[in-house]
Amino acid sequence: MISQFFILSSKGDPLIYKDFRGDSGGRDVAELFYRKLTGLPGGESPVVMYHDDRHFIHIRHSGLYLVATTSENVSPFSLLELLSRLATLLGDYCGSLNEGTISRNVALVYELLDEVLDYGYVQTTSTEMLRNFIQTEAVVSKPFSLFDLSSVGLFGAETQQNRVAPSSAASRPVLSSRSDQSQKNEVFLDVVERLSVLIAANGSLLKVDVQGEIRLKSFLPSGSEMYIGLTEEFCVGKSELRGYGPGIRVDEVSFHSSVNLDEFESHRILRLQPPQGELTVMRYQLSDDLPSPLPFRLFPSVQWDPGSGRLQIYLKLRCDLPPKSQALNIHLHLPLPRGVVSLSQELSSPDQKAELGEGALHWDLPRVQGGSQLSGLFQMDVPGSQGPPSHGPSPSAPPLGLGPASLSFELPRHTCSGLQVRFLRLSFSTCGSANPHKWVRHLSHSNAYVIRI
Amino acid sequence: MTDSKYFTTTKKGEIFELKAELNSDKKEKKKEAVKKVIASMTVGKDVSALFPDVVNCMQTDNLELKKLVYLYLMNYAKSQPDMAIMAVNTFVKDCEDPNPLIRALAVRTMGCIRVDKITEYLCEPLRKCLKDEDPYVRKTAAVCVAKLHDINAQLVEDQGFLDTLKDLISDSNPMSINKLLTALNECTEWGQIFILDCLANYMPKDDREAQSICERVTPRLSHANSAVVLSAVKVLMKFMEMLSKDLDYYGTLLKKLAPPLVTLLSAEPELQYVALRNINLIVQKRPEILKHEMKVFFVKYNDPIYVKLEKLDIMIRLASQANIAQVLAELKEYATEVDVDFVRKAVRAIGRCAIKVEQSAERCVSTLLDLIQTKVNYVVQEAIVVIKDIFRKYPNKYESVIATLCENLDSLDEPEARAAMIWIVGEYAERIDNADELLESFLEGFHDESTQVQLQLLTAIVKLFLKKPTETQELVQQVLSLATQDSDNPDLRDRGYIYWRLLSTDPVAAKEVVLAEKPLISEETDLIEPTLLDELICYIGTLASVYHKPPSAFVEGGRGVVHKSLPPRTASSESTESPETAPAGAPSGDQPDVIPAQGDLLGDLLNLDLGPPVSGPPLAASTVQMGAVDLLGGGLDSLIGDTNFGAPPAAVTTATATARLGAPISSGLSDLFDLTSGVGTLSGSYVAPKAVWLPAIKAKGLEISGTFTRQVGSISMDLQLTNKALQVMTDFAIQFNRNSFGLAPAAPLQVHAPLSPNQTVELSLPLNTVGSVMKMEPLNNLQVAVKNNIDVFYFSTLYPLHVLFVEDGKMDRQMFLATWKDIPNENEAQFQIRDCPLNTEAASNKLQSSNIFTVAKRSVEGQDMLYQSLKLTNGIWVLAELRIQPGNPSLTLSLKCRAPEVSQHVYQAYETILKN
Repeated sequence: MISQFFILSSKGDPLIYKDFRGDSGGRDVAELFYRKLTGLPGGESPVVMYHDDRHFIHIRHSGLYLVATTSENVSPFSLLELLSRLATLLGDYCGSLNEGTISRNVALVYELLDEVLDYGYVQTTSTEMLRNFIQTEAVVSKPFSLFDLSSVGLFGAETQQNRVAPSSAASRPVLSSRSDQSQKNEVFLDVVERLSVLIAANGSLLKVDVQGEIRLKSFLPSGSEMYIGLTEEFCVGKSELRGYGPGIRVDEVSFHSSVNLDEFESHRILRLQPPQGELTVMRYQLSDDLPSPLPFRLFPSVQWDPGSGRLQIYLKLRCDLPPKSQALNIHLHLPLPRGVVSLSQELSSPDQKAELGEGALHWDLPRVQGGSQLSGLFQMDVPGSQGPPSHGPSPSAPPLGLGPASLSFELPRHTCSGLQVRFLRLSFSTCGSANPHKWVRHLSHSNAYVIRI
Repeated sequence: MTDSKYFTTTKKGEIFELKAELNSDKKEKKKEAVKKVIASMTVGKDVSALFPDVVNCMQTDNLELKKLVYLYLMNYAKSQPDMAIMAVNTFVKDCEDPNPLIRALAVRTMGCIRVDKITEYLCEPLRKCLKDEDPYVRKTAAVCVAKLHDINAQLVEDQGFLDTLKDLISDSNPMSINKLLTALNECTEWGQIFILDCLANYMPKDDREAQSICERVTPRLSHANSAVVLSAVKVLMKFMEMLSKDLDYYGTLLKKLAPPLVTLLSAEPELQYVALRNINLIVQKRPEILKHEMKVFFVKYNDPIYVKLEKLDIMIRLASQANIAQVLAELKEYATEVDVDFVRKAVRAIGRCAIKVEQSAERCVSTLLDLIQTKVNYVVQEAIVVIKDIFRKYPNKYESVIATLCENLDSLDEPEARAAMIWIVGEYAERIDNADELLESFLEGFHDESTQVQLQLLTAIVKLFLKKPTETQELVQQVLSLATQDSDNPDLRDRGYIYWRLLSTDPVAAKEVVLAEKPLISEETDLIEPTLLDELICYIGTLASVYHKPPSAFVEGGRGVVHKSLPPRTASSESTESPETAPAGAPSGDQPDVIPAQGDLLGDLLNLDLGPPVSGPPLAASTVQMGAVDLLGGGLDSLIGDTNFGAPPAAVTTATATARLGAPISSGLSDLFDLTSGVGTLSGSYVAPKAVWLPAIKAKGLEISGTFTRQVGSISMDLQLTNKALQVMTDFAIQFNRNSFGLAPAAPLQVHAPLSPNQTVELSLPLNTVGSVMKMEPLNNLQVAVKNNIDVFYFSTLYPLHVLFVEDGKMDRQMFLATWKDIPNENEAQFQIRDCPLNTEAASNKLQSSNIFTVAKRSVEGQDMLYQSLKLTNGIWVLAELRIQPGNPSLTLSLKCRAPEVSQHVYQAYETILKN
């Protein structure tokens, strides 16, 4: 199955190297891989590479290359799945996955690899199972403090306790020091949706889809049961009907194998006994039929004078969220014709920022309140604009290379599908007296929000 | 305390310092030191000098430290085998440690130390651990057996480890399908992948079993692990082949397959890419699964380029009349993006849509014209290349756009675009007023052009000359002299000469040849060949499906590579034959319709090395023949949709034929063939009666029946052509696809007089075995194209293998004995020939006349054993032992051959010869 596994830093230095079958040419392979990867001509797929009877399969994870090699005709899916599972596992055990944590925890990583893969065959990837075998403790960079308020999260957590979960809380190793019992009782439940939208130049909606997942990170002792209650009007498939309103509809749902669905049909309750560590409880997706209006509409108008090479772009951005909600870190990216130079801009409010770079216009808005409207007027010159005015393209047509605009943003406390977690209940039998902290968060962000111009 | 500082120390005395620390008394210090050593090891520093010191640390109760030391051992034991032996005692001791974790650790590490000497010590502890009370230790020990097998397979068998392993699998019949299906619900996701892959290799008895397996596999489609999903898809795709299409269940299954595939496309780009490569195969096999899911393949702005290109490909495959408007709108958007590669591919895709969906052609052309108006260089060039293809597909429809194309003549700098433009000018020379000026402008830099452009320019100017002879005489002379006298390129020179000769001898014939009507181009030129596609479907979810190559093409040494094929569709009443006697999917018996559709064959035939074989009997040069050859060459050539029109690659041969034009037409050769076919079958090997190969309904009235004969060293194909149509047939020509033994016509098909309605002609076509070779399935399959003035027809037939048995196939006795022993036993195949009451003498004689030679004879216990040898045209020897028992009509035949795949066919040859 797998001949070798290695982790390279973004610069190509080997951080971890492990040979499982002894059938391959030693650690030069890692170097070979990096040379091959960086020497790739554009367009060729770097996912699966072949060299000298050896196949390289890799993923990139927070700047690191996780690479598996094999010499047989195995399933690339299982290797890719395994690599991403390893990334999660290493994250679970080392706190987070990056160059620093890996090089601090070399011994731990090797120990993990030994247990996950034997002779190149996958043994287990469950955090819970592996706990029994792992001896080494993770080395964390700095001691973690729950009350370290300097690192307040990007968005506040909505919980009964109404306290703020520090953003670093979730990036703490699952196996933090055994002695420290008090910090263990925490559960993080995130509903995260990714929104892909494609809007045609005439403003009509070509395509919209939402991919969502409910992620759980648990520090509770394993074996404790928990109930996750979802919105009761939650419907699966086109035909199902629940509640009186339009309902919250998704096209397809898949659950983690440990989820007990006995009460899902009747009450939309998921029951599970989560292992410690990260877990995707549920994945769902819906397309075409969004219950709420799109969060943003962009109204662009472009004036292009090919004679003088003057290009004027007026962008109006309307946020259609409910007035109480807001969007954060909005970034608009608009590719421009080659060689565009000067730029004069008029922006509707002072906290915005716009600049030219890498052949595109970047417009940053830190925060937009629901229902508000922002605009920007940009003027630039396209030098050496080709085509004499006599039989060039008609003046109204935009020059080549302009658009499409793409938006990226985050919508805290908002799900595009409307799905909410009603409650998160823990049934406690074994654990100590301390009431566990439960953090429930909802978040939507853009995956590809593209508006053609 | 962090480990990162270990990476920073590079001072000289480092090794020395570490040594001191390793020998320290304090446990903590030792542990830190070993950690440092391992960190150095990872970054590639040589710390093997510390071997003895590290091994000394092994004697410890601290599990963490022990693990670290073992890690070090695994890395360096190979380079220091003698030192590694020092550690053996500790290993053996650890294997009996009360802590199961330590036992497992020791067994695992020992397996990873690939030193021969250690393996001897390994056996005893391993045997104990295989029977350990702790499941974790047992599991680790089982994997260790696999490791040991890799190092020393013999040892594993001698020690009986395999039997112990079998005991571990508590079930007595592990391959029972039901067990597997049950296990599917019980094991981890990684195990499920193995089980599903295993299921995919199983051949269900009938469609009912296939359906029940499908039903139990379907729930896996919603698994979170994409590898499980894809393996399940593979099982379903394979078993669906067996289900009847009318079944309700078939439709349900189709519907169930779409959502999981769509879901895969929302994963990470890496997974998406692999998924798309697989979907590409699935779409080609069963487009109906995803035909309503076009939207998910729309390219996202932030997709990586490799995902974009793959999506584009699938979009075109799914394009149909229903969704073409949507697709075109998308493609037009893509064509204005920034990435050059992607834009090119998008433009090309528009052209492919036009060719695929006729109703959309007009819109595609106008879209392309819009794109040409952008004046972006690479867009224009790409558009011109695809417009040329559109002209080929829909002649005389869109010529109005030529004027626009001509405006852009100057901006073309890529050979492909220039060649395409020149083709267009030449093809429509009569409608372009200044065609001669345009072509002349290209001619100026003739020698700097690429071959593609030069060839095209030559042909275009000749076309122009034939259309407007008066004004362009000078131009054509200029290009002919450039091509023939000033060029080093043989292709160009030959093409130049043949045009020259044609024009000077017979301008009318030249016109017929050069301006011949071109066959339509095929709709999809880039489809994967059907047989390969079927094989790849069996490999869904493996690397083969990503490369779109069969595993034999990239897996080392072909170890464990079995050619897989889809199961045949069966009804529950009839059971399939067992796979040993007939490879699944291969029809048995002389079925002339091995190839279902003509279209599929087209692709194969186009890869043919065109032109009659030169190394056969000398060409009988006659004008009639030459015309036929040329037309066939030209016709097939232009089918490729390539830009080489008019002069085929066969020009070399034809040119030689032309050179001999003056020679008297020798009819001796053909007389000889008539003679042989007249003398008939008395002296040669057995000849089967003629069978109908191509029924008249399938070939617009031409019926072809035939058989194969072998006469004194030459193979021929005896054909009987019957004209059942109402019109006269002329211009016959024949061509074979590449086949297993390189059979090829040794002379053109000679039908001397036109074949009038209801007339039958018998003729014999001499064959040789110097054609190009490609392994066919079944081995003796031969795909044939026959052309006449009406059309080109395709059929395929199976030739009896005995026509390939050569006359010098008698092996020396000693040699026979040695070879028989030398060929491994697994290559031996045994067959029964029933109902053949022959005595030894008669059988031997009969076989002898078909070039199966008896080397020795022996009588054992009332049985006669004949030892026989034969040789195939490609030099493969087959050794046979034929056992004849007087009074028993069944004969037993054992065959040994280094290429065991021929055995089945040799057996069939034996049976045919002996029974007739």
